[in-house]
Amino acid sequence: MPIQLLQQAAAANEWLAITPELMLALLALLLLVLELVLPRQLHTLIPATAIVAQIVIALGLAFNFDSAFTGPGTAFNGLLRLTADGQFLRLFFLVCSIFVCLLGTVCLAKQRMPRVEFYHLVLIITAAMMLLAQSNHFVLFFVALETVTVGFYILVSYFRESPLSLEAGLKYLVMGALSSSILLFGIVLLYGAAGNQALPGGSPNSMNFDQLRIFLTDNPGNFLASAGIVLVLAGVAFKIGAVPFQIWIPDVYQGAPTPVTAFLAVASKAAGFAVLLILTQRVFAPYQGLVIPVLSVMAAATILFGNLAALTQHNVKRLIGLSGVSHAGYLMIGVIAAYHEPHAIGAIWFYLSAYLLASFAVFGVMAHVAGPNDADQELDHYADLARDQPFLAAVLAIGLGSLAGIPPLAGFMGKLLIFVSAFKAGLYPLLAVAIAGVVISIYYYFGWIKAAFFPAWRPTDAGLPQAAVPARTPVNLGVRIALTVLAVTSVLLGFYQGAFGQWILTR
Amino acid sequence: MTPVQQALLILLLPLASAAFIALFLRRAGGLASAISVAACAGLAALSLALVFGGERNFPASWEWLRLGGFSLSLGFKFDDLAALMLAIVAVVGLCVHVFSLGYMHDDGAKARYFGGLSVFMFSMLGIVFADNLFMMFIFWELVGFSSYLLINHYCEKQSAADAAKKAFIVNRVGDFGFLLGIVMCYWLNGTVNLTELAAHHVYTTWVPLLLFCGAVGKSAQLPLHVWLPDAMEGPTPVSALIHAATMVAAGIYMLCRIEPLMTPQALTVIMWTGTATALYAALCAITQRDIKKVLAYSTLSQLGYMVAAFGLGSLLSEQGEHRMLVAAGVGAAMFHLTTHAFFKALMFLGSGSVIYGCHHEQDIFKMGGLKSKMPLTFAAFTIGVLAIIGMPYIAAGFFSKDAILHLALEKNTAVFAILAFTAVLTSFYMVRLWILVFLGTPRSDEASHAHEGGLTMKLPLILLAVLSVLGGYTALYGHTFDGVWSLIPHAEGATILVISLGVMIAGGGTALMLYKPAGSDALEQKAPGLFGVLVALKESFDAVYNYYVAKIQQRFAILLNFLEQVALAGLIIRGFSGLVGLFGIGARALHVGSLHAYVYWFLIGVVVLWAYAAGVF
Repeated sequence: MPIQLLQQAAAANEWLAITPELMLALLALLLLVLELVLPRQLHTLIPATAIVAQIVIALGLAFNFDSAFTGPGTAFNGLLRLTADGQFLRLFFLVCSIFVCLLGTVCLAKQRMPRVEFYHLVLIITAAMMLLAQSNHFVLFFVALETVTVGFYILVSYFRESPLSLEAGLKYLVMGALSSSILLFGIVLLYGAAGNQALPGGSPNSMNFDQLRIFLTDNPGNFLASAGIVLVLAGVAFKIGAVPFQIWIPDVYQGAPTPVTAFLAVASKAAGFAVLLILTQRVFAPYQGLVIPVLSVMAAATILFGNLAALTQHNVKRLIGLSGVSHAGYLMIGVIAAYHEPHAIGAIWFYLSAYLLASFAVFGVMAHVAGPNDADQELDHYADLARDQPFLAAVLAIGLGSLAGIPPLAGFMGKLLIFVSAFKAGLYPLLAVAIAGVVISIYYYFGWIKAAFFPAWRPTDAGLPQAAVPARTPVNLGVRIALTVLAVTSVLLGFYQGAFGQWILTR
Repeated sequence: MTPVQQALLILLLPLASAAFIALFLRRAGGLASAISVAACAGLAALSLALVFGGERNFPASWEWLRLGGFSLSLGFKFDDLAALMLAIVAVVGLCVHVFSLGYMHDDGAKARYFGGLSVFMFSMLGIVFADNLFMMFIFWELVGFSSYLLINHYCEKQSAADAAKKAFIVNRVGDFGFLLGIVMCYWLNGTVNLTELAAHHVYTTWVPLLLFCGAVGKSAQLPLHVWLPDAMEGPTPVSALIHAATMVAAGIYMLCRIEPLMTPQALTVIMWTGTATALYAALCAITQRDIKKVLAYSTLSQLGYMVAAFGLGSLLSEQGEHRMLVAAGVGAAMFHLTTHAFFKALMFLGSGSVIYGCHHEQDIFKMGGLKSKMPLTFAAFTIGVLAIIGMPYIAAGFFSKDAILHLALEKNTAVFAILAFTAVLTSFYMVRLWILVFLGTPRSDEASHAHEGGLTMKLPLILLAVLSVLGGYTALYGHTFDGVWSLIPHAEGATILVISLGVMIAGGGTALMLYKPAGSDALEQKAPGLFGVLVALKESFDAVYNYYVAKIQQRFAILLNFLEQVALAGLIIRGFSGLVGLFGIGARALHVGSLHAYVYWFLIGVVVLWAYAAGVF
């Protein structure tokens, strides 16, 4: 290690550029220390510490949104590029993490499990996602991605007494390893192709996104590069759950603990899209002719498959997983539209934000309706929810309505922005598919609402055994406030986008 | 307060009252009635101040909706015509509100009733103020809705529910034509603003005729008159306000508003429609036993008079391209509308007083002898009768009816003959009613225990009786309504006076001779054939409509329902849903849960993508 390099780094003090990530990592360590130091009866303070500290970090990040480090330049020798989009995603992941921790307090209380490691892992994953969204180099990209994935291997199988959770963990491990290897193989092909200095634009530093882009611009139609790009896209498609790499989703979502499912559904998917946007819009932009058809076919297949498969599900975790697949399809339309219509990127961020609000509202309700067996969450369990817990039912209705894209909720605005971008970009066939998908999705979202609001017919014959419904958890004040905020914001954001909408447009 | 604010306040006061009652006072009938009456008194005071303040044609218009080049606005057009209508609506509305305090005192659903009255006042004032046809249509529908609400007040009675439904549906038929007319008017002229239309419009007969359809429905002209007699199922004050004085007259008012659009052909159609209605309704009125039904048919007949007057008078002559518009018809129609509003409201409230006094007995053959039991009601009702039969110089109806007959005599002898004959019939059935109700001795327990209502029921009667006497002297209004009054045609010489005296005496005298205060219908006994024809005449329209609905429309509906069930719901909707469901089951079946299968799935996906990158396809 050349000593000058360290001295340079110290002089520039680029560590400040990743303050939020560092603070999250330190917080994660602090949680472990607290578990050792605090007496057992005070351990309930640890999740509270995690949540409050994250809120503080989020506020600090929000106040320093226009950081001095954002701009065209890179940090750490081109490993990182801090952009406004990156700042937005940092905040996005932090908010996700806060809600996941909050859901964790609800769900873990029903289990006999070590609790603190859960929050520790969530924080580490969040920090890694933040880095991933700002990566400018395949090394950082892969390391951050693997940190996220490895963290999820543990989190998915966190309820280790539940066979389904373990099975999900194993499936996620195998599929994740497979996709990582495909991704890595793609990176190697790109590195090899771009590292060939006999070709124009070839450079020894070809893992760097900027160098890679120069090479791709100079060498259109390079077969090795094309294969590498396709394989990298396949690896990313695993993250976002695009057809044909969506097959793991229902099993893993069902087995994973509810907060982890939420984390996978929202944050992991958003990270996948952050990466997809960086790669397709910046790095692989010269290979549009290859990328756009691949993404278009994937998007159409994803929308149709997700919605059709969700149609017949009875387990709500599988249902929301497959419906999440279709949301990935809509977002991919936004990614394709972004080639012609710069507003599409803003539309994707808005869509993701609306998706975050609605998803956590729904997952929040799921966490309260679920019993001790977290994998067993059927639609039937929602019977009479509106009568017994009207608050949860109302939050559920708003969340599902927003996911379905019913005006005037935020989800509708998100879909509208994406579809308008796609329309401006001239993607008419994809739009038709997307609209057909939305129509199908309304069926199962409203089926869920119906299950919660309208009393189902039950046989009056006393001889038949009644289906056992797990006891519902009462809603405590903190969660109640959080769910109210989610629901109210989902409604408000549909009516008035304010400064956020302004930022989306002028980003 | 500027006139615009004042007009806005007039319009919004009853709306506020209705909203407040609907939101907070559904169970508090006493408070609701107080608020509704207070709102009506307030709007009446403001209206009269506005009307007699002399401010006219102040600009007031707000854009409401803009879709590309198409825009709709809401605004006020306040000329002498609107001022006159506003004064009528405000005064009669106030009388009816106050009268309702007594009449509906023991009603269980008082809050709903008074809320409905407030909704009605709001809607009616909207029609009066409207400066364009579109806005008029909005409020046109709103009065239809409030009329539905109030006819249906005794909703536990099947007949009331049916009558409300009938009124609503029949009005819908007319309103469809009205809407078509508005659309066509916009299409041809690019505007529906009344002032702009008056200045410039495309000359066509279709637009006024289509718009006239709305008046046919709302003012219950042939052949859409069938709802008005049934609408008498509503409370009597409602009949006085909506189904005699104001809402049914809205059709006439609307015609006067669109008078510049008229063409000779359209006016001829309008004239004959009105004439036919006047005659037909007068014939029907003769056989009625229900005091309110007699008045209802008489209202129909008088509305026919107004429509005929409008059709008669508006176009003086057409010489080649040069048309001379002389709005004498507007003057005559509005004049008769004014006097009719006063004396018909008076008679309806009088009949309300009688019904109230006789404990909700409405059959005139079971009344009698009320002259001594209810002297004030008797006096008021007598003034009403004198007004409608046109007693010269004593009551208001004489002047307005003379104006119409004079117009008819000048324009069309056939119409004149029919209208004169109608006047004979009017005197006949009115005197018949008057004899049977008030003279002789009580013919039932209810009538023998009849009594006057309280002060709230007497005051409106007195006020309306005064107006029924004085309302015909246009000089008394000062110059307030000169824009309308100056259009009234005046008869020279004594011809018209003699004729109208003659028809009055002929009709009234026959009735005096024929009818005695007795428990059975003298006409039915002495001329059963004629009586049977008249009854059949009345039934004929309902029979035709019932046949149409039951035999034609219902069968068509059954056919459509069958198609909907089989083709639409069965094949298309179920078919699509089944198809999508099949795909769903297929997609679900792919998730077998086996890790091996998932890995192969992944690898196949990679191979396909690789093949694409390699250019295989």
